[in-house]
Amino acid sequence: MQAWRVFYCSKMDTSLENLKTAAANITKEVSGAKLTTASDREAFRIRFLGQKRGLITQLFKEIPHLPKEDRRFAGQLLNALREEAHATLDSANQNPPADPTSFSEIDLTLPGRRNQWLGSRHPITLTLSKITDIFHRMGFTIAEGPEMEDDWHNFTALNFPKDHPARDMQDTLFIDEKSPDQPRIMMRTHTSPVQIRTMMAGKPPFRLIAPGRVYRNETITYKSYCLFHQVEGLVVDEGITMADLKDTLYRFARAFFGEDVKLRYRSSFFPFTEPSAELDIWWELPDHPDGGRWMEILGSGMVHPNVLKAVGIDPEYYTGYAFGMGVERPAMLHYDIQDIRLFYENDVRFLAQFQGVAG
Amino acid sequence: MKISYNWLSEYVDHGLPSGELADSLTMSGLEVEHVEQNELSLDGVIVGHVLSVRSHPEADRLRLCNVDLGDGEPKQIICGAPNVAANQRVPVVTIGSRLTINEKSVKIKKSKIRGQVSMGMICAEDELGLSEDHRGIMVLTGTSTVGEPLKDYLRREHGLTGDTTLDLAITPNRPDAACHFGVARDLSALQNVPLKFPEIAIPPSGDEAEKHIDIQIQCPDVCCRYTAMIVRGVTVGPSPVWLKRRLESVGLRSINNIVDVTNFVMHECGQPLHAFDYDRITQKKIVVRESMAGENFVTLDEKEHTLEGGVVLICDGEQPVAIGGLMGGKNSEVDDSTANVLIESAWFDPTRTRRSSKVLGISTDASYRFERGVDTALQPWAAMRTAMLIAELAGGSIVPGMVDVHPKPNPPSTVDLRISRIHKILGIQIEHRRILQILESLGFAPHETVEGVISCTIPTYRPDVHLEVDLIEEVARIHGLENIDLPKQTLLQLSLPRPRPADLLREHAHAHLTGHGFREIYTNSLLPDDVATQFSQLVLDSDDPPARTLNAVSRSMATLRPSLLPGMLMTMRRNANHSQRVLRFYEFGHVFHHSKRAAAYIENFSEYDVLLLGLCGAVRPTGWDSNPRAADFFDLKGVVSQLLDALRLDTLNMQPSYEPTEITDYHITLYSDSARIGIIAKLSGAIQVSFDLPDPVFFAEFNWTRLLLLHEKNPPQTYTHISPFPVVERDLAVSVDQSQPIGPMITTLREVGQPLLKNVDVFDIYTGDQIPAGKKSIAFALRFGGNRTLRDKEIDRVMRAIVNAFSEQFSATLRS
Repeated sequence: MQAWRVFYCSKMDTSLENLKTAAANITKEVSGAKLTTASDREAFRIRFLGQKRGLITQLFKEIPHLPKEDRRFAGQLLNALREEAHATLDSANQNPPADPTSFSEIDLTLPGRRNQWLGSRHPITLTLSKITDIFHRMGFTIAEGPEMEDDWHNFTALNFPKDHPARDMQDTLFIDEKSPDQPRIMMRTHTSPVQIRTMMAGKPPFRLIAPGRVYRNETITYKSYCLFHQVEGLVVDEGITMADLKDTLYRFARAFFGEDVKLRYRSSFFPFTEPSAELDIWWELPDHPDGGRWMEILGSGMVHPNVLKAVGIDPEYYTGYAFGMGVERPAMLHYDIQDIRLFYENDVRFLAQFQGVAG
Repeated sequence: MKISYNWLSEYVDHGLPSGELADSLTMSGLEVEHVEQNELSLDGVIVGHVLSVRSHPEADRLRLCNVDLGDGEPKQIICGAPNVAANQRVPVVTIGSRLTINEKSVKIKKSKIRGQVSMGMICAEDELGLSEDHRGIMVLTGTSTVGEPLKDYLRREHGLTGDTTLDLAITPNRPDAACHFGVARDLSALQNVPLKFPEIAIPPSGDEAEKHIDIQIQCPDVCCRYTAMIVRGVTVGPSPVWLKRRLESVGLRSINNIVDVTNFVMHECGQPLHAFDYDRITQKKIVVRESMAGENFVTLDEKEHTLEGGVVLICDGEQPVAIGGLMGGKNSEVDDSTANVLIESAWFDPTRTRRSSKVLGISTDASYRFERGVDTALQPWAAMRTAMLIAELAGGSIVPGMVDVHPKPNPPSTVDLRISRIHKILGIQIEHRRILQILESLGFAPHETVEGVISCTIPTYRPDVHLEVDLIEEVARIHGLENIDLPKQTLLQLSLPRPRPADLLREHAHAHLTGHGFREIYTNSLLPDDVATQFSQLVLDSDDPPARTLNAVSRSMATLRPSLLPGMLMTMRRNANHSQRVLRFYEFGHVFHHSKRAAAYIENFSEYDVLLLGLCGAVRPTGWDSNPRAADFFDLKGVVSQLLDALRLDTLNMQPSYEPTEITDYHITLYSDSARIGIIAKLSGAIQVSFDLPDPVFFAEFNWTRLLLLHEKNPPQTYTHISPFPVVERDLAVSVDQSQPIGPMITTLREVGQPLLKNVDVFDIYTGDQIPAGKKSIAFALRFGGNRTLRDKEIDRVMRAIVNAFSEQFSATLRS
């Protein structure tokens, strides 16, 4: 294919022999051309007969560079070539084969050419982006940390006392360090260690969110998986209060679930915040006897003074708040997904539902 | 943990219907997960008076009872219970009424048994849904009127009504709330009403009790208090209906009046209790000690346990009789023959109880409470309350006094609360009086020592409170977080964050890859160990083994992924099995392995972000004028190159390798200097087959963390002036050995063509008639440009230099 273009380099060395080779190549091409569509024919015309870059036209431009005695022959050769190209084009124009793209026969109902399928972002990515976008607009930066953590970052610095039942609440996946001591390294059970890493690395004020994957040593069922995703938030500055926290969370929830979402903010417990609270949203369920039910969306609270002390911040001077939310649950609510395993099975029939503008 | 609405209401006049009560508790930190109404369904059940009883002439076990139902005309009712007797008041289900037995609704009809008519049914407690007791018909005590509805009688004489059970999720910081007293205390603070706990006169330690039992604590660190009392001359038997109902309302079965009382008091005040058969305690002596490894013990559920060291054992003069905090022993348990009862009311260490409970696999209502931390001041009260109830319900007499061994008393601590700090943390003002009220109701005995500072004494039942901020939380949760008003305006900080390059890059990668038909996937970070090991050679920088877990729930999730590839292959297999023919996926995720290099986070381990993309199957959708073709290596390489171009990382060195590896048939490694950044590869045919994939698989995996660092080293993007002068296009066709790779030729072209050569494309590769055997022709399209009009001579000079370089380096000849 396209052997005709090979002649083009002969420009460096114009001779009758090269011109003949080029002409022969063009003849072969012209006679073999399939001119099915109008655009094929237009391309043919431009390629061979175009005013400027047409190949035959350009060959004509080589004639003056030939020795005088060869010019006449070359002229005849190229004229014949041009005639042949015109004839081929005319014949195709007069007896065009069926061409649904031509002006006269165009079938506008024919499906468009699709050069590629639509890809898709995973619904967890979509939900995460939605969450981080809202906080980004509220002036939060994004921070990240490792999924493999040590005991100090995951528990101790976050005010989990040794052997406290709170450590039972999260069944932890430990890593084999090939040492006989107490296991020290684990897959993080929450994104809260990012708080610690960030505060260790800088100075207040902090205003950040930390999205990421967290782990639970659980068997896989339709409602629990051995890992899931969280977004952690942390604000530490002078004069930060629980009213600021509630304000931020309510703004977030209204941006995420809609302005008219019904919310409640109730007291709870986490080792690393005091006071602690959870945010619930009212989720309408037409079949439910109460017409819906409260669903837990995120945990939050004022950063515990022991956490601030652990990272060398004076809790008398600085106060702060922290919050953490799962990503899977709001994604399941939003898209009406009943089985958490669907997220990790990656069935194309599932993924394809989130292509394009998936909202 | 279950709380009964009726039971709770005995200790506090909260005045709330059950729904509002549940909401109020939930909002203040005692989350009610479930509310269950247990109505008494006793319509048509009335009080009957048994006038006479005689045997059924045709059936030995049945009796014919003549029962007055108050309507003036006694009825004959057949009854099979052995305890029915004349002059009893009994519950009777009248003809035509319905009864729920074994969850089925049964209609009581006039019936005939062996020739005798029965005009109703005399019921046992279980048949009325009052308890699970089916040892005989229920005999009514107290005053009743013949013919009155049983419901009225039960309400009047036993205070029995329908009840509501609240199921509470108690957070670990609230051991005090694992009983009715604790919940009542919160309610009293929430509603600002007083508590009505039973008044008990606690006997002094010592007295006669000391002569009957000797207590020794050998391990005061894990058992800081042991209180014992004795009740003599009891009659073990069934509990009264009210007690059975109470226990059932919190999900317990009635055992006998002794055990039931210990359970009742535990659910009332939170102190677990144990009743021993006093006569089975040898030498009248209790020794609390830690077990030695290898000791055996049979708990009262008849299971034999071999103990490790350090389990708290309650022993008599000879042998262990209970595991402290977990369960009593078979050898000292109260049974029907028990006459004298030894009551244990003790404190066991939470950590030790938790460990023993886990190791022995014993989890009881007692261990649940000890693990969380029982009030260290409660033991004498609970012992006396238990003794009094046993004496009341099982007869017998309390041996005066008690033995209260308390080797490690912990005096209550005090914590100061600054009023100003409440505002600083919560951001709202709460009325001074209300703050004091809340703290008072919760038992913190507040008093203002200095203006603006409230001194609180922390009660022993609140081990979670030891800082000022803990008291602030108490005030906040009772005051109500709902009452924290949202600010009318919000302060926005002055400096707003700029988007991070990491996020911009990832966003672009998403757009690029989805635009090329790739679907993002999320796969499990945990793999079976053999799979992780097999694919760990894809790790770019290390021969170290993958990171294994210590305690995975299943072998299929034993080891952390060293590469995202196995997860993607599983995804491809799954979708191929569902007849998906287009398999194009990408994933961002962390990978892990052991590493001896300096660690970014955790020593001896490496963790970084990876991007994997892979494809298998057709290259593009089937169309009406396109020919189908399976995607190949260059389809993937093109997508990758465009991505790298877009990230301005087009200078990576690509090192081809034609040697098959365990994972790949052939691949390209991407380097930046000496650092390996990624790989583009064809998956080995063997692995493709092992994953049941119909077409060849091509994949590219990148260390995204390193790509980011490289990208960040790029100089900031600035505009380059656009040349107004025309570009010059030239084509170049050369013939080279068929084995000559094209990549190095392009590199040479770029080098030699500088600075005028702006762009190089390969537009044809040809072998055939026109070319000698063993050779191929390669055609390049070149674009030249400069900040002036280029003259042909200049271009010709460059072209000649290129041709010379080609000739020298690749023995290329110009085609003409």
